[in-house]
Amino acid sequence: MVETGRADGRNPNQLRPFSCTRNPLNRAHGSARWSQGDTVVLAAVYGPKPGTRKGENPEKASIEVVWKPKTGQIGRQEKEYEMTLKRTLQNICLLTVHPNTTTSIVLQVVNDDGSVSFHHIIAPLQLTSFVSAAVAISCGVMENGAVILDTSKAEEQQQLKSFAHLVFPNSCKSVVGLKEPKQKDEQVERGLITSITHGVMSEDDYFNCIERGLAASSRISEFMRNTMQKDASEAA
Amino acid sequence: MAMEHLRWRPTVNERDFIESALQSDLRVDGRRSFDFRRLDISFGRGCVFVEWVVIIDVVAVSFREDGSSEVQLGETRVMGYVTAQLVPPYRDRPNEGTLAIFTEFSPMADPAFEPGRPGESAIELGRVIDRGLRESRAVDMESLCVVAGKYVWSVRVDLHILDNGGNLIDAANIAALAALSTFRRPECTVGGEDGQQVTVHDAEVRDPIPLTIHHLPIAVTFAYFGEGNIVVVDPTYKEEAVMGGRMTATVNSNGDVCAIQKAGGEGVMSSVIMQCLRIASVKAADVTSKIRTAVEKYATEKALKKVKRLPASMSQKTNAPDVTMVDKGDDKLGSQSVETLSDVQQISKDPSVVIEANDHEDAKPMITESSTEVKTTSSSGAAVESDEAQEIRSPKSLKDAIKPKHKRKKRKDNRS
Repeated sequence: MVETGRADGRNPNQLRPFSCTRNPLNRAHGSARWSQGDTVVLAAVYGPKPGTRKGENPEKASIEVVWKPKTGQIGRQEKEYEMTLKRTLQNICLLTVHPNTTTSIVLQVVNDDGSVSFHHIIAPLQLTSFVSAAVAISCGVMENGAVILDTSKAEEQQQLKSFAHLVFPNSCKSVVGLKEPKQKDEQVERGLITSITHGVMSEDDYFNCIERGLAASSRISEFMRNTMQKDASEAA
Repeated sequence: MAMEHLRWRPTVNERDFIESALQSDLRVDGRRSFDFRRLDISFGRGCVFVEWVVIIDVVAVSFREDGSSEVQLGETRVMGYVTAQLVPPYRDRPNEGTLAIFTEFSPMADPAFEPGRPGESAIELGRVIDRGLRESRAVDMESLCVVAGKYVWSVRVDLHILDNGGNLIDAANIAALAALSTFRRPECTVGGEDGQQVTVHDAEVRDPIPLTIHHLPIAVTFAYFGEGNIVVVDPTYKEEAVMGGRMTATVNSNGDVCAIQKAGGEGVMSSVIMQCLRIASVKAADVTSKIRTAVEKYATEKALKKVKRLPASMSQKTNAPDVTMVDKGDDKLGSQSVETLSDVQQISKDPSVVIEANDHEDAKPMITESSTEVKTTSSSGAAVESDEAQEIRSPKSLKDAIKPKHKRKKRKDNRS
C-alpha cells in the first residue's frame, strides 16, 4: 500500500475515531456532542416553536440554524455554514408535518481540527430529534492525486490541493426495531444531498471522492443506528 | 422579535412551593442554603471521558489545546477558551499586555437567549467577570509585554454559555479562571539589529509559557428571598426566577474582596451583606482548591503524554487494542494480534515511568461504555476501505494511527 504520509499516521481511507454523547444539555429539547478525532461540536435543538419568521413559507416548518465558532466574531464563513446546513436539513426533514413552526438549531464548535463544517453538524442532529437520514463525509485530494478521507485541519490547510464536503442519504431506511443482518451488497440509496468543494480537482478525482465517501458513510450511519437503537431499547 | 414569551416563568404554585420550602430552610434540589452544586472542570477537548484512541491521536500531533476549559456547575455548563495575539499596546500603557473577556449567551443555553446583540444580563455578566479578573490584577499584564510600545500580547477569553441552569456568573468565572490557568502562550524572542524583530516560536520548537496568575478571584452569588431575610448561595434557574434580589461577591482565597455587584432588587440589611461576604471567602477558598486540583491533574496528564513519545513506550500501547477487538472475530485478526503481542514482549524491559503511564492507559478502555450520559464510541479504529476484499483490521489500523510519523518505517519492518 502506498504510504501517503498522513500526519497522524492514518491510512488514506481511515476515519478518525468518533464518539457521541446524547443529551448532555438540560435546557435544550435535544442535544448531542459529536467528536471525530480532535474535532468536537455540540448541537442543541429547540422547537418546534409557533410562528415562522418573515419571508418563510408558513405552510411548511422552517428551520433556523445558528453557528457559533469557538472564538472571534461571526463572519461570512459562519453565515455560509448556517445557510448550507439549513438547506441540507430542509431536504432531509419532512417539513409538512408541522407547518408554521420554527425549529432552531444551535451549533457550538468546541474544537476545530478539520472537517468541522459537516460531520459535526449532521451527526449530532441525527442524534437529537431528527431521524438519521444523512451522513456527511469530507474527502480531500492530495498533491500526488491520492484521495484521503476525513481530513484534519493541518491537512486541509497545508497538504491538500482541494477537498470536498459531501452529504449522503443514509443507506438503511429503518432506524429502530428491525435488526436486519448486514448484507454485503445492501441496496444503497446512491445520491448526494450536498456537496461543497474547495480548490481545483478533476472530474475523476471528484467521482473518486464520492465513491469513497459513500463507502465510509455506511460505517458512520451504522454507528449512528447502533446509538439510536441502544437508546430506544433503553427507553422501551 | 421579542423572545419574552419564551423566558421560563414559574407558575404560581412553583413560586409558592419554592418560597415556602425556603421558609423551612429547604431547597428544592435538597441542598443546604450555603452549598454549591457539584462542580466539574474539564480541559482540552472538552470531553470528560477521553477514549484511549483519542489520546493516541494526541501524541502524534502536538498538544495545541491549551486554554480550553468546560465547567459544569450542577446543570449550568460554560465553556471557556483563551487565545492570544501580538498587538500594539494602548498608548497610555506601553509596557502592559491586555486582557479582554467576551461572553456569548448562546441560544442553545436557553430559548430566551437570542443570537446577535447581547442582552442586559449578558453585558452584566461580562462586566462582573471583567472587573473581578482584570481590574483586580489577577493576571500579570507586565509579563505580557514583548517590545515596550510596539508589541504586547493581547489575551482574549471567550466564554460560551452552553446550558443555563442558573448562576451563570459563578460558572463563567470559574471557566475563565480554569482556561487562563491552563493557557500557554508561545515563547517569543526579540532580536534583529534594532532589537525590534520579534520571532514567535512554534510550540514544537520551544515550550509555550503559562500566564502569571497572582490570585484566583472567585465569584459567589447570593439570592435573597422573603424581603431579604432568606439567603441562599448558587441559585438554580428556578430559584433565580423567584428570587427578590441577588448579589455577587468576587473574593479570593486571601479574603480580599475584588468586586461586589448588587444591582437593584430587594433591599438587604448591611449585617446580612457582611455575613454574605464572610461566607463568600470561605466558599472562595473551597472553589480555589478545586480549580487548582483540576489544573494540576490536567498538567500531569499532559506531562505523561509527552513521555509517551518515546518509541519503546509507543508499542506498549498495543495492549489496549485487545479490548476493542471484541466484535471482530476473524482469523486475520487473530494472527495479527499475536504479532503485536510478540512485539510487546521484546521491549518489555522498560523504565518504570513508562509502565506506569501504560497502566494509566489500560484503565481507560474499560470506561468507554460506562458514563453517566449515554455515550457510545466507535468500537474500532473505524477503518474503512472502499475495496472490500481488503478490509483493514483494527489493530493494524490503530497501530498506524498511534505511530508518530518519524517512527513508522522502523515498526513496519518488525511487523511483516
